[in-house]
Amino acid sequence: MFFLITRPRYELITHYLYYWSEIIIKGAEQRKITFVDLKKGKASRKLVESYLNKQPVKIVIFNGHGNDVCITGHNEEPLIESGKNSYLLKDRVVYMRSCDSGKVLGPQLIKEGAKAFIGYKELFRFWTDANSIRKPLQDEYARPFFETSNQVAISLVKGKIARESHEDSLRMYEQVIGKLLTSNMPNSFIVSDLIWNMHNQICLE
Amino acid sequence: MDEKNNNQSDVNSEEVINLVIARLKTIPDNAQLSIGSDREPLPAKDLIEEVKNQTETGKKIIESQLYFLRSLQNLPVA
Repeated sequence: MFFLITRPRYELITHYLYYWSEIIIKGAEQRKITFVDLKKGKASRKLVESYLNKQPVKIVIFNGHGNDVCITGHNEEPLIESGKNSYLLKDRVVYMRSCDSGKVLGPQLIKEGAKAFIGYKELFRFWTDANSIRKPLQDEYARPFFETSNQVAISLVKGKIARESHEDSLRMYEQVIGKLLTSNMPNSFIVSDLIWNMHNQICLE
Repeated sequence: MDEKNNNQSDVNSEEVINLVIARLKTIPDNAQLSIGSDREPLPAKDLIEEVKNQTETGKKIIESQLYFLRSLQNLPVA
């Protein structure tokens, strides 16, 4: 198995993470890459630990709420906690699309032998259009936040190393920000928060 | 004064708060920001109150707006 992805869905933030992660999954399916999709209630600690213990997963992609020391799954169940079960990510490339996991958990993973960690050292934030909540993939306020952050996972799934995947994402941020700054697009107000996410996206090896 | 203290004094400055509020007032009514683990996304009118009241969320908004304004000279232009 090449990668494992978690995508809980139980409130608005995870609702958006869930749907925008489908782009990553469709890309993997087209490339006939093997993966496990732990979605909704399956984004549990028990299943994550089981797969990481038994399967030769190379890349692990987490979506969900997080803090300095943990990443969570369905209903905010801690999936990986720094110093408790974080050793399970040894020899793996890890991408955590969540708040704050780059502060303590990311460095801890590297200390415990993870190949690489990509994540955010501050709050991951995004804008949504109240009129598009039922169709997250058509939400033009949210699109730039998820296309740029999805790029990390898309590049990893294509076989690029962590540093290249991180840089691919940063290049996409630059392109999107440049377009928004020089346009009268109705979503140009999102630029400051897009820059915030870009500035706080880190890659540790 | 180190950078952290400098940023903190900026966040508390009335001039900066007014600038951030002016920027937030330009945001469409249908837009809402999801930030951190706050369960409900916040529209600009609520963000303005957070900034005025100097809540943790308000301080994070000011911090990111200041970072944006400071980085303008280095930003890419398509």
